[in-house]
Amino acid sequence: MSDQRIFAKYKANELRAELQVFDVKKSKTSAHKRKDALRKIIANLTMGNFTEMAFLYPEILKFWKIEDDLEVKRICHEYVRSLGSAKPKNAAEALPYILDDLDSRNEKVQIMALETLVAVPSPRFLEEATKTIISFINRRVIPPTVTKTAIYASEQIDFTENATRSHLLTLLLKFVERENTEPTLQVAALHALHTIHEKNIDLQPLRLPIDVAFKLLDLLPQLNEWDKALTLDSLTTAAVPESHDDAYEMIDIALTQLQHVNTFVALNAFKFIAYLLNYVDHVDENLIKRFSNSIVSLLNKPPEIQFLVLRNVILLLLSRDTPLLQLDVSYFFIEFNDPIYIKDTKLECLYLLANHGNLPRILEELEQYATDIDIQMSRKALRAIGNLAVKLDKESASDCVTVLLDLLEFGVDYVVQEIITVFRNILRKHPDDFTSSVKELVKYNDSVQEPESKNAMIWIITQYSCDIPNYLEVFKVFSSNILEENLEVQYSILTSSVKFFVKDPVPETEEICLQVLKICTEETNNPDLRARAFMYWSLLSMAHSSKNHIISAEAVKSVLDGELPVIELNTKLDPLVLEELELNIGSIASIYLKPVSQIFRSSRTRHLLQSPVLNKDRSNLKILSGSTSTVNLEGFDSLPEMVSHSSSDRSSSTAARKKMMNDYDKPAEKVNQLKGRRKSSVTSPSKISRKPSLLVRKLSMRKPF
Amino acid sequence: MISAILIFSSRGELIVAKTMKSSLKKSISDIFRIQVINNLDVRSPILTLGSTTFHHIRSDGSDSLWLVAVSRSNANSGAIWEFLYKLNVIMDVYGLTKEGTLKENFMNCYEILDTVLEEGGIPVDTELNSVISKMTVKPPKQISGNLLDRPDLLTMSSLNLSTPGDSSSTLSMPKFLTRNNRSMSQDLGSNYPSNLSWRPHGIKYKKNEVLLNVNEKISILVSRDGSILKSYVDGTIDLTTHLSGMPICQFGLNDSLSVEFGDDSISEVEDFANKKAIPKAAAGRVMLEDCKFHQCVSLDKFNKDRVIKFVPPDGSMELMKYCVRDNLNLPFKVTPIVTSIGRGNTIDYRVTLKSLFPGKLSAKDVSLRIPVPPGTVDCEINVSNGKCKFVPEESAMIWKFTKYTGLTENTLSAVTVPSSDTTQLTVQQWPRPPMSLNFEIMMFSNSGLVVRYFKVSDKDERYRTAKWIKYISKSGSYEIRY
Repeated sequence: MSDQRIFAKYKANELRAELQVFDVKKSKTSAHKRKDALRKIIANLTMGNFTEMAFLYPEILKFWKIEDDLEVKRICHEYVRSLGSAKPKNAAEALPYILDDLDSRNEKVQIMALETLVAVPSPRFLEEATKTIISFINRRVIPPTVTKTAIYASEQIDFTENATRSHLLTLLLKFVERENTEPTLQVAALHALHTIHEKNIDLQPLRLPIDVAFKLLDLLPQLNEWDKALTLDSLTTAAVPESHDDAYEMIDIALTQLQHVNTFVALNAFKFIAYLLNYVDHVDENLIKRFSNSIVSLLNKPPEIQFLVLRNVILLLLSRDTPLLQLDVSYFFIEFNDPIYIKDTKLECLYLLANHGNLPRILEELEQYATDIDIQMSRKALRAIGNLAVKLDKESASDCVTVLLDLLEFGVDYVVQEIITVFRNILRKHPDDFTSSVKELVKYNDSVQEPESKNAMIWIITQYSCDIPNYLEVFKVFSSNILEENLEVQYSILTSSVKFFVKDPVPETEEICLQVLKICTEETNNPDLRARAFMYWSLLSMAHSSKNHIISAEAVKSVLDGELPVIELNTKLDPLVLEELELNIGSIASIYLKPVSQIFRSSRTRHLLQSPVLNKDRSNLKILSGSTSTVNLEGFDSLPEMVSHSSSDRSSSTAARKKMMNDYDKPAEKVNQLKGRRKSSVTSPSKISRKPSLLVRKLSMRKPF
Repeated sequence: MISAILIFSSRGELIVAKTMKSSLKKSISDIFRIQVINNLDVRSPILTLGSTTFHHIRSDGSDSLWLVAVSRSNANSGAIWEFLYKLNVIMDVYGLTKEGTLKENFMNCYEILDTVLEEGGIPVDTELNSVISKMTVKPPKQISGNLLDRPDLLTMSSLNLSTPGDSSSTLSMPKFLTRNNRSMSQDLGSNYPSNLSWRPHGIKYKKNEVLLNVNEKISILVSRDGSILKSYVDGTIDLTTHLSGMPICQFGLNDSLSVEFGDDSISEVEDFANKKAIPKAAAGRVMLEDCKFHQCVSLDKFNKDRVIKFVPPDGSMELMKYCVRDNLNLPFKVTPIVTSIGRGNTIDYRVTLKSLFPGKLSAKDVSLRIPVPPGTVDCEINVSNGKCKFVPEESAMIWKFTKYTGLTENTLSAVTVPSSDTTQLTVQQWPRPPMSLNFEIMMFSNSGLVVRYFKVSDKDERYRTAKWIKYISKSGSYEIRY
């Protein structure tokens, strides 16, 4: 194309020269070359060569005047936008040209000019921008695309005067209510209203009159995908139903959008309906099915979107006592080439979905992952099994433990480490149920290597010392190397040696205890460890000194070796946070599962607005199956009975027995039999590289000496 | 919503930086480069630092550019990722996903962004054809005029379905929406639409043609004992239309609901199925788990009487996506018998591969990947047909067939040759990754989904259209444990 590369750093002088050379001639080629030079400016701005490029302001202004090629215009506007904040003075020089472009007959140029006005952060620009926006929204003669830009631009303005702001808000509201305009403009106005209310915390939250909300909802089928989603998004919390009937009617309208292929639309429809569920008294089971189906088909999307959907599945599973989703666990089985972030999230979903009924299937899967070649995955799977044992009741936990013990026999190093680590938690949750497995675990005493698993092992030995006859011997493996361990393990050794002594004050334990205390106080450098050792030491000596009975031996025992509280896995989120997150389905906050205010300081927290029918307790929502309910269900029952019929068929069949590969078998028409003998694949290069001896033999056969 | 769009080359060179918000610092691109591109540990597609969030995807093609969206508020991630993927498609059509071309024509990218993004970084319109019509620059290659010029269409069968009456009038109305017609006001109905954002007026073709592609990917996981742990079909229906004017297209599927609605058309389905070599079983009903439609499809119409009705955008598009999990037609059965023999460090394989689709059809590019334990230097293989090679780089044997006819059984028998230092333990600890099968079958539907009829109607009574349909079933992840 051009003789010089566009994407290279240039000095201002070089470009200026280039621009001047082609300046004079009006021929087509020079116009082309000139454009190339201008492109180089933008490329240099992209590369961060700002100081040099800033010198070219005069040139840019010159071309602004003479050219009306759209690309040159675009370059000029880009230039001012990116340098406007750095050089407000120069930007001010450009202002007249920008204002000129505002009156251009080409709507694209008008839009560009308006965007530049908003983009440059200077008071004069802001003033002009505000003026222009308001006049554009007011006038009816200008092209709709320009009006649309003006409306969206109004979201970007930081208002200096409250009067202008309230003037704009009234204008926008009028726009939303206006009949016979382009629907896309109404959506834009709605979105602007919504955003301005979100941004300015001093305003009351936006609340639309109910009939306006309905009118906007009726626009849905006419809108394109993005407008649909924006409407649903803006109406969440802004359209407040006054009665149950209102809420059902709105759900009814939004329901079809769950099937949209665009995730943005589908998730916003989900959000809107989930929001409306706060204003109804019961839900039909069919709605749950629609929800679940919608979510499932979104899992068919590119990995990033899958990730988002999976994170929202977690949110929805956590958010209500009876979740809004009923999903089969197999959707969350991991596929070989899933990216790691999807694998992780799927594991989390599996964990949340696990219950007594589906545990065998989940365990079977997790066991597979645990033997995966991917070490990280394998560890995560083991951890998940451990967590399941903690989450579920005793009976299920014992299934988990059986699987873990099976895997332990596998004997692979990292598997052992991980299993020992998770076993500590299992034993904390079910202290008396798995004492028999402790002996199994202790066999692997020598192979624990990682600090965390060492800690766990030491804890297990200490806690179940009565079940291990040779516990001191086992313990000595660790205590003898105390100096080489890291701090966490040193703490554990210290604590355990003291516990042994307190539990069973015999000479052997005393010896170990003293030994460890000595090492910790005399030979280590860490002050915390030393202080802890001294603390134990004085505690023990106080209890055992005959003179002053400040503390009894019993008291020391209860301090050092007391009853441990049963652990719970902390997966629950604060109900208020959940309520807020449910109003933010699909947003960034829903990925992190954190309240919006924690990530984005300045933004307003979404709240449910008051209405006579607002449910006080979210968990109280009744879910009725299709046949029993009679009130208000016409809208929901969009899929007639056949659905529930066939899907119940399905669930019963899957519950009854597993599908087998053989069920699908058909007799073959043609069976090719094996013929000849096994041959190694001749072309395989492996032989040459891996077995030089063979190669030598071959060569030597051909060429005998 | 989106504060800036950044496009990096795969090595991290910034090529396009379109800033929508002035408050954004220029150094924002360096932050992304350091935190994500140069940081190999980061594998998440989203990163939030302070209140700035980066969403990114990699573009298709060899150059895999980084497409990054920067946002400063609690934006909707679904919108951003959907947008980035659509941007990727548009850039691809303009040839801008190649690093070299992008560097030359980066201003086109600015124009695209100006067209698809509204002030404030809100996506307005990402429909390919509509974007092209709004752009001053046209994409380098226009889609060729006549569908039949393309050689890959020769295998298609023509879709000459007699249309089963006016389905919308004969179908019984389900009791959806008693409160009639609030949301159905926009149902395309009988009146022909005038203004649609995705279709301009005045399109003209000499010959009207419609090409319907039913693409399916079947994924299955079979456990050691032969039970099916997971099976599903992901399908899409792609449509290429070269139609004049503002036609309304309408078609029906044999999903269980629509079959129930219009019983009269079943007999026709079976005729059609036999003629087109689609197995009889497949012509029954399919339980569509869920379907998602392109924005042009009237969703109310589908919910009401399961008819897919739309005015198509010109050219190609993905019309719908669906998922089926029950009553699938599994195309292949793999029966592995894998035992360790000798001193325990040698593995003996006996694998039967049997095709279960009708004998008239054949699959192409069938390949079965059979993993071998580490420390295998060679394999002695005997196969009844096809070619099988040991590929040491992948530690697997690959058994390949260029063509595999239906209802045929083939056997493989193989023994591994371990290296001298392979012990029984290494083989025992080998995690046995699943065997995986790849294939492609034309005119076969894994889910059994069949397009029952396809109608194109226009104001003009004499509107004639040539209709073509193609079914392609491919393997997704078809895995067998042993």
